[in-house]
Amino acid sequence: MEIRPILSALMRSKVSMILIGLQVALTLAIVCNALFIIHERLQRMDRPSGMNEADTFIISSTGFGQGFDVKSSQQADLALLRSLPGVADATSAITVPMSQSGWSTGVSLKPNQTTDTASTALYLVDAHGLSAYGVQLVEGRDFKPEEVQFKTFNERVVPTSVIVTRALAQRLFPDGDALGKQVYYDNEGPASTIIGIVERLQTPWLDSDFIDNSTLAPVLFPYGNATRYVVRAEPGRRDEVIKVVEQKLQEANPSRILSKVRTLEQVRAEGYANDRAMAIILGAVIFALLAITALGIVGMASFWVAQRTRQIGTRRALGATRFDILRYFQLENFIITSIGLVVGGVLAYALSLWLMSAFQAPRLPWHYVPVGFLCLWTLGQLAVLGPALRASRVPPAVATRSV
Amino acid sequence: MLKMTHLQKVYRTHLIETYALRDFSINVAEGEFVAVTGPSGSGKTTFLNIAGLLEEFTGGSYLLDGVDVHGLDDNGRSRLRNEKIGFIFQGFNLIPDLNLFDNVDVPLRYRGYGAAERKRRIEEALGRVGLSSRMKHYPSELSGGQQQRVAIARALAGSPRLLLADEPTGNLDSLMARGVMELLEEINGQGTTIVMVTHDPELAARAQRNVHVIDGQVTDFDAEASLRQSSSAAAADTAIA
Ligand SMILES: Nc1ncnc2c1ncn2[C@@H]1O[C@H](COP(=O)(O)OP(=O)(O)OP(=O)(O)O)[C@@H](O)[C@H]1O
Ligand SMILES: [Mg+2]
Repeated sequence: MEIRPILSALMRSKVSMILIGLQVALTLAIVCNALFIIHERLQRMDRPSGMNEADTFIISSTGFGQGFDVKSSQQADLALLRSLPGVADATSAITVPMSQSGWSTGVSLKPNQTTDTASTALYLVDAHGLSAYGVQLVEGRDFKPEEVQFKTFNERVVPTSVIVTRALAQRLFPDGDALGKQVYYDNEGPASTIIGIVERLQTPWLDSDFIDNSTLAPVLFPYGNATRYVVRAEPGRRDEVIKVVEQKLQEANPSRILSKVRTLEQVRAEGYANDRAMAIILGAVIFALLAITALGIVGMASFWVAQRTRQIGTRRALGATRFDILRYFQLENFIITSIGLVVGGVLAYALSLWLMSAFQAPRLPWHYVPVGFLCLWTLGQLAVLGPALRASRVPPAVATRSV
Repeated sequence: MLKMTHLQKVYRTHLIETYALRDFSINVAEGEFVAVTGPSGSGKTTFLNIAGLLEEFTGGSYLLDGVDVHGLDDNGRSRLRNEKIGFIFQGFNLIPDLNLFDNVDVPLRYRGYGAAERKRRIEEALGRVGLSSRMKHYPSELSGGQQQRVAIARALAGSPRLLLADEPTGNLDSLMARGVMELLEEINGQGTTIVMVTHDPELAARAQRNVHVIDGQVTDFDAEASLRQSSSAAAADTAIA
């Protein structure tokens, strides 16, 4: 192979080589890290909430007028909702996963513990809660209707039975025997008994460091005159059910304001809006960088081909085949790209270290860089192909025709 | 060595046809030193390009060292060029970014020789033109005459049978031109056939035979004779002198 003469010729036109090499290096460093961040965000967005998201929606109702009684209105609404065709189940609830607002509390194994054993989100639901959220019970039992307590702002209500997520159970009782155990949500007690364990239910906060620790408690707690309902439709019937629900709730009690329905899919989209935006922006950055690098290579190679037309003709006259000329330019690009990639590999890890120290970002996995090498080698070879083909078509007669 | 009969070359653009060569016949014997002269635009370069397989012709026939080149594809022509022909250009056509060693190396790499063989040939060729000591220099560090010597070394390194030179002294002053001419004569003396286009009547006179081209045709009065007795090229030389 003619690597050595190409390299020594390149050394005589360092500026253009350094320009393209540097461009390749920066592209590799940025693209590797950007791809990794995108991957991280996508993984984050891929986390299951534990709910049936496809069929579920939430709607809030705020009553007004002197005769409005939130407790009886809530019970009437729930009965109505559950009777509607297409509704699988419904519950009254304060919050849902991914909504970024809700309640959290500490859980302890003993009363008056100085530090809590775990943090948990609190989901206050009635006996239809598990079914309406569509979470999967893996141990123990569901709530019974008679366990449900009704709470107002002034009352202190501590649930006697709770259902916790598997992650929380594991955190509280690492030996795996959480079912039936007593825990303390209130320092003074009384204790609550874990009567069931669900597979998964995320807290409402996507950034929390205890995202899988949730507790369901059988408590109904309207916010003043406001209640929120979680309604799960039968599979595939969500959109049709939404229309009926809005209409029937309004008819049943005109002295209230209904919020706009939000599907769990909308809640998820809003909750992850920043992550999605970040992924899209970085994707655009990657695309732009690759495009600029490719165009830079095309431009530089085209310039070189034009500049070296007579040299190409001379090489042809001296016996180079078209393929020899094509290979020359491909090889030249390969060499420049490789030099750029080596520098870029170091830059990529350096950038990663900086992101780690400045933003607590995780370390760039090592394999991103070799994969980036392959991509940019391919990009370079494809970008230079057009100019190289043009070079290979330079007729040998230019050796004598142009002076 | 080189035999063209009724060769024709037409350049066609969408507007005009230019007959660069018409009914062009020439026979160059092995070991001859032929000088080609003629006015500008008469077709000298065209003839040399066709002889060197840089261009195709549009009619007639051409045998290079007994091989009919008409049916050859581009790769075949490249290979034949590489093996049989050495080119010397008016503008030297050295590659400015390569040192002398690498410049002479260019055709040898296309030949596919191994590194040791190439090194041996490069050193020998540069030695023949008296530039062994400048192997690591770049063309821009040499005088025109020296550059043309490198180009001659490059043309010689592959041991071609035929050397084609298009005004090899056209860019040189008369002293350097004489040096190059002497080198060519020496090379010819060692058996390489040379066809040289030149505007310089003095240099042309030193060749064994002169071929005069006018309007795409050989007008040399003794061309007929040389066709008949091409082996005794020396006779033609004296006839001109
Ligand atoms: N690529 C081309 N397209 C069209 N016409 C051409 C082309 N190359 C050469 N010609 C024409 O062919 C004719 C012969 O050209 P050629 O270059 O062979 O002349 P020359 O004898 O070498 O002239 P000079 O002494 O000036 O170098 C000229 O009329 C020229 O204009
Ligand atoms: Mg000419």
